[in-house]
Amino acid sequence: MKGWTGHLLRINLSTGSVKKESFSEEFARTWIGGRGFALKILWDELKPGIDALGPENKLVVALGPIAGIPAPNTGKTVVAAKSPLTGGYGDGNLGTRVTVELRKAGYDGLIIEGQARSPVYLNIVDDRVEILPADEIWGKGTYETNDWLYKKYGKSVGVLTIGQGGENKVLYAVIRSLEGRAGGRPGIGAVMGSKNLKAIVVKGSNEIPMADPPGMKKLGAEDLRKVGEIDKKTGWSLQGTTGVLSWCNEVAALPVRNMRKTSHPDAWKIDGERLNNARIATYGCPNCTMRCGIAIHDHEGRESELDYENVGMLGSNLEIFDLPQLASLNYLCDDYGLDTISAGGVLGFYADAIDHGVIEGNFKFGDAERAKELLRMTAHREGVGNFLAEGSRRMAQKIGRDSMDYAIQVKGLECSAYNCKFIPGMALAFATSPIGAHHKESWVIMFEITQTSRESYGPEKAQKVVELQRIRGGIFEFIVACRFPWIELGWDLQHYADYFNKITGLNWTLDDLFKVGDRIYALMKLFWLREFPDWDRARDYPPKVWFDPSNADKEGPIAGQVLEWDKYEKLLDSFYEIRGWDKRGIPTRKTALGLGLAKEAAEVERFAKLE
Amino acid sequence: MKIKVKVIGPFIYQAGFSEKELELERRITAGQLLSLLNLLEGRPKIMTRNGKAIAPKEELEDGDRIAICPLYSGG
Repeated sequence: MKGWTGHLLRINLSTGSVKKESFSEEFARTWIGGRGFALKILWDELKPGIDALGPENKLVVALGPIAGIPAPNTGKTVVAAKSPLTGGYGDGNLGTRVTVELRKAGYDGLIIEGQARSPVYLNIVDDRVEILPADEIWGKGTYETNDWLYKKYGKSVGVLTIGQGGENKVLYAVIRSLEGRAGGRPGIGAVMGSKNLKAIVVKGSNEIPMADPPGMKKLGAEDLRKVGEIDKKTGWSLQGTTGVLSWCNEVAALPVRNMRKTSHPDAWKIDGERLNNARIATYGCPNCTMRCGIAIHDHEGRESELDYENVGMLGSNLEIFDLPQLASLNYLCDDYGLDTISAGGVLGFYADAIDHGVIEGNFKFGDAERAKELLRMTAHREGVGNFLAEGSRRMAQKIGRDSMDYAIQVKGLECSAYNCKFIPGMALAFATSPIGAHHKESWVIMFEITQTSRESYGPEKAQKVVELQRIRGGIFEFIVACRFPWIELGWDLQHYADYFNKITGLNWTLDDLFKVGDRIYALMKLFWLREFPDWDRARDYPPKVWFDPSNADKEGPIAGQVLEWDKYEKLLDSFYEIRGWDKRGIPTRKTALGLGLAKEAAEVERFAKLE
Repeated sequence: MKIKVKVIGPFIYQAGFSEKELELERRITAGQLLSLLNLLEGRPKIMTRNGKAIAPKEELEDGDRIAICPLYSGG
């Protein structure tokens, strides 16, 4: 088996046992890596109904065959577990040195089980694995934790950490890596915290296995240079992702005031141009030549690294149009290890609920100083922070009085920074994202607004959502690489199939890889069904407020328009039909069998019938 | 006629501005505007008029707000 190390490292924090386990060639070819590995491991090993924050849950760190090799944008790692925020399958990816070091240490992934009796961290150096006390770093933020570990082990190690958010099991706590920011939006950092695991340090000294090492190294180096040249020529990195803010503001898609509004005259104050002008440093993931992390000084003079989602959710969504102030909120989220998207969604919902008089509280849109205090309280679960730490869906369940209608989330995960009150295809993309609302699966919005009719609910939109899910939520999540060179710089998708083949010695087409993506999407849905046997299509609905005519824009390009339920239902039917799923949104038995999921279908039928 | 032009992302460094009003002596198409602004070279351009999609062959109207944006894949 070429292209994979062939090993996973299983660490049980309850017993202290450490095992290096082999996996079969069949497992590798069926699930490839990253999200595929994580999902299959969690499916096989978790009992349905377990407490996501209990010792029975498992934290999986998973890499793919092209992860860590010197080729364009291969520095990503997937982290996954049963989500405490959504109750379903949860994962995320983040750029980190761990990607390279873990593969060099001889592993394609980690399975972390049980619960340490007191705070610990892991130090993995090839075959040597130490579970060490973390008393000195427990209670510290991610920056201080990272510095402490760098001092101890040097800066060439890979490090994953949680902050106080993960320690205190904030349901949208993430796992952090300073080189590549954060991952695991559906509370994967809280799962790590529930295991009393503060950090993972990795150093490897072996070669990453490849079928054709000289050929791949030559190709990878050439392509890294080419991608870097395209970036330099086009100037993409000058603003990175933050140009998206101006576009969303133009086309009435910007999150403003808990997504009540779709644009704002002050948006220019926090746009990509202003951010680039304020830049003090640039950061990127390993093996990246189009670095997107723009760091600026925040209000307190600290370095804070921003991208569009941070600016959209902590800035415009909270009506904070002061760049250093929103950079402070971003810094705090990063240091506490909170997801910036959900933090912006939760604070927006809280301000909106207070505004509507359905809850008493001290927070208004635009109040950056109070937002900072609320983030601190959330990360430590102090006072009202304990309420905010539960995420907008649970908050709405507690508040009642129709507040669920404007909790901007799907399946419990807050929507990213795209206001879809009149963008049917993107609303579908959020609603059918397999971990809850997330833009990483299918960012169909630009295609939808510029290449089709925005008003259309036609099957071409469902088709495009599926096509993008196959690429973004599929290929990029299981070979594990960043998607940015593909669209932003026009780097042909075929390159990734070429890398895959050169590394594994296989001769797969993109269609072969798409099929793996479909298999993974089907099993993610079966995972949800096993957890929620009474599943119905309402779980694939976007936030209700996007359908509310009283919430329509009064002026601008979508004045008077909102989503329409009957048309959305038809669009959802089109999506299910393309995927071979039934009207509940569950893969049919025929679809499951066609994707090689006979065993998994039989398992899920112990809980709920497949059609 | 007068139009407003908003240039987004890296294209502002190519065009030399991010937002300005242009006075045009004759009616031109969206595609001709790209030529006028020296934006024909480089990566594909996504254009909108008053927040809605506009094709390169469509003629601009007095008072239009035109946005010119690169392809993105999200934040």
